[in-house]
Amino acid sequence: MMKMVFAFGIFFSLVIIPDRCLSQDYSKNEILIGLIPEENIFRQMDRYKPLGEYLTKKLKIKTRFTILSRYGDIIDRFMARNLDGAFFGALTAVLAIEKLGVEPIVRIQNIDGTSTAESYIIVRKESGIRDVKGMKGKTIAFVDRATATGFVFAIAYLKEHGIANPLNYFKEYYFTGSHDSALLSVLDGRADIGVAKSTIVKERIRRDPFIENEISIIARSVPLPDVTLCLSKRLDRRLKEEIKEILLTMDKEPEGITVLQKLGASKFITASKEDFVPVYNLLKKADINIRSYSYR
Amino acid sequence: MKKRLIISLCILFLLFTIGVGITIFYIYKTTRDLETVVNLHRVEIIRQNLVINTQTVQTHLYTIGTAFGSEVDVIVEHVSDLDKSVQSCRGCHHSKELTERLDRLSDMVEQYKDALSALITTTANKERVERLRLVAITLGNTLLSMVQEMAFTADQRLYKKTINALRDINNSKIILFITLSTAFITALLVAIIFTRQITKSIGMLISATKELKAGKLGVIANYPYKDEFRDLSEAFNDMSLTLKKNHDELLGFARRLSHLYRVTIPLYSLSEAGMPYKDLTEIVKELFDARDSKILLKDNGRFIDIMDKEISIPQKEMEALYLYYKKEPAIFRKELPPPIGDEYIQTISGSALFIWIKEQEKLSGLLMVYNKTSGDFDDTDLNIAAILSNIISVSFINVKLMENLRAQMKELKETQEQLIQAAKLAALGEMASNIAHELNNPLTSIIGFSELSQEETDIETIKKDLKIIEQESIRAKEIVNQLLEFARKRSIKIGDVNLNILLKEVLQLASLQLKHANIQVIEEFDEIPTIKGDHNQLKQVFLNMINNAIFAMPEGGTLTLRTGKIDDKVFVDVEDTGHGIPPEILQRIFEPFFTTKKEKGTGLGLSISYKIIESHGGKIEVKSEVNKGTRFTVLLPINLAS
Repeated sequence: MMKMVFAFGIFFSLVIIPDRCLSQDYSKNEILIGLIPEENIFRQMDRYKPLGEYLTKKLKIKTRFTILSRYGDIIDRFMARNLDGAFFGALTAVLAIEKLGVEPIVRIQNIDGTSTAESYIIVRKESGIRDVKGMKGKTIAFVDRATATGFVFAIAYLKEHGIANPLNYFKEYYFTGSHDSALLSVLDGRADIGVAKSTIVKERIRRDPFIENEISIIARSVPLPDVTLCLSKRLDRRLKEEIKEILLTMDKEPEGITVLQKLGASKFITASKEDFVPVYNLLKKADINIRSYSYR
Repeated sequence: MKKRLIISLCILFLLFTIGVGITIFYIYKTTRDLETVVNLHRVEIIRQNLVINTQTVQTHLYTIGTAFGSEVDVIVEHVSDLDKSVQSCRGCHHSKELTERLDRLSDMVEQYKDALSALITTTANKERVERLRLVAITLGNTLLSMVQEMAFTADQRLYKKTINALRDINNSKIILFITLSTAFITALLVAIIFTRQITKSIGMLISATKELKAGKLGVIANYPYKDEFRDLSEAFNDMSLTLKKNHDELLGFARRLSHLYRVTIPLYSLSEAGMPYKDLTEIVKELFDARDSKILLKDNGRFIDIMDKEISIPQKEMEALYLYYKKEPAIFRKELPPPIGDEYIQTISGSALFIWIKEQEKLSGLLMVYNKTSGDFDDTDLNIAAILSNIISVSFINVKLMENLRAQMKELKETQEQLIQAAKLAALGEMASNIAHELNNPLTSIIGFSELSQEETDIETIKKDLKIIEQESIRAKEIVNQLLEFARKRSIKIGDVNLNILLKEVLQLASLQLKHANIQVIEEFDEIPTIKGDHNQLKQVFLNMINNAIFAMPEGGTLTLRTGKIDDKVFVDVEDTGHGIPPEILQRIFEPFFTTKKEKGTGLGLSISYKIIESHGGKIEVKSEVNKGTRFTVLLPINLAS
């Protein structure tokens, strides 16, 4: 008799209790996800806020975003603030995978159907800068050392063009902290050259088409994986799966579509470590060892 | 009144509608003003928040990148609040100028956000960072100035709007008060005017009604105004006049009925020829309000005036007139006389009412009424005349019937007396043999002692015999006297009768019969009061009953005589133990000439007895059982009714 009861209990726990019920039983009260400042941090927070509310509703766990002031802080802040995950750029994702062991879950697919971004080296049209030679002795605005599209590509590009010590090639260089700031620095003349991500530049042009007439793109990288959600290795696997499932299917329901529109995405697609091979190639061209790279 | 009432109600309705309209308008205006003021205050709060948020963000600017700097999330939150404040301002409807200023403010906020974001995220040399900070601070200060300037302007407008709103509210209160007061006072005045007018009108009608109720028929309510109350007062006046008219008519009818009654009663109560003609003519004159009336009765071929024998109309002429008027009462008019008539009829001046007195449709007289005091005779007079004709005719017939009845009653009385006497003699007849035997004893003694005294020489012995003869003769004489006394035909004489004594006298009369029939007599006489009655007739009743009892007990038996008093009556039971009376015979025993004694009886005894007791106001009850006996109970009132 006791055996029968035990067997039934096992059967019940395995078969009858649905996964959904199990997912309700996580010990977490809040999920905190970091955002790298790829654009105006206030605008970026506005874009991501509906996604946080959507996840909160679906997971029944409060999901909150925190903006990270600088790309270079990302690894330290991830650990310091005990983040559960973050939307990383291409390089920060590689750094996090290497240093924190995070797991890529999903990537954002842009409105135009792409899920990758290129790095642009941009100048003002009237600046007369057409090539690497023209860059010499100018002021350049990078995004951050910890970005592939905002820094590493430019270094790799310059090295490919024979510039052994790229940073000394310029009169001044500085880091704007965000891709749109780098673009704005070029536009308002604070910098002669800017390095920024194609998706941000395109978004700015979409919003202000005059920008397209003001700037020239003198170099562009290969497509690199764009913003990728990586979750902490400490997070419950079932919760990870559930988050992944929610994000991958949200484009199938009206509420999810609305949230995606506000985010500026068409949907989420599955991400994996293999997606970052182009980043590793780019690092190699730039002579950067990821494990010893001083990105701060 | 109705028209005025409707107009007044319409005015009131209009006033109230206007009042309500004004009230609603001012309530709407006041609430709208208040809403505006509240909204302005709400906007003021938003502006203040905007200032506070801007100042807060400005504070962060000085600490970003230092150890005292806030977390980026905090700065983002404050900037988000700042943005919300601006967006909430833009969300409202504003003037074009204000909208443009808000747009500029919004652009400024966007620039400020860009500058802030750049400052927060930029990693550069100190000079560049400071330049970014300066740019952000300058933008922030400009933003703050714009907000404060707008807040100041808005404050001014808010103050003005608040003052205006409060003034409007105050005005609304005054106008509302005036409107409602006007409507209320108007309603009050209308109510007072109408109430006074209505109560005055009603009071007038009530006063007239009270006079009417007090008996002042025909009273008029003079209502001066032309309205519904005028109609009502006219209707009241019509009613009052109609009541008076009807009342007068009723009085006339009552007067006539009274006269008719005065005529009718004596005529109906006439019991003998002695018609009060003079009274009749006088009452008829009053009845028809006429100056003269005459009665002509048929006598020896003429109709003669009973008051003045000189006036008469030949029977032939009168009957022709009777037929001309179809035997109905008629109005004779001088100007249109009937084609038939004698000299007397021709002498009638003016109009006259002919009322025929008939016997079995045969004319026996004429009652004429002349010269109506006011107006002429009419149909009502004819109707009354018809009634009067019938009454007089009937009274004439009644008189004759009464005369016939009296004659018949007299005859019946004589017959009854004869019957009673016959019954009495019959009762005596039934006792004849016993009476003879009773008389035989003294007579035998007388004869015997007469013979003995003729043979006796001794004078003393002869004296003794003569004494016995004398005693026996006296005894025989007493018997004869009693018989004569009973048999004597006498008139009814009501006096005090003691039934116990009366019964003893009857028993004395029947004693020999009872003795020979071997009947034991039981007397159960109670003390009873004397009653009023005819001694001889009552004696006859009980003698008859005792004779019947003796007849019912041929083999002997017991006769019980019992007297007593029940309430205001006395009773006598005559009870025998004879053969009894079968029920089919019992119900016929009081019928005249019904007898079971055959040749020995007349069949009159009990029927006469029943009549006698009935004439004394009493009654006879009989109970009988075959072979057990019969009991007659005579109940008589102590006081004989008149």
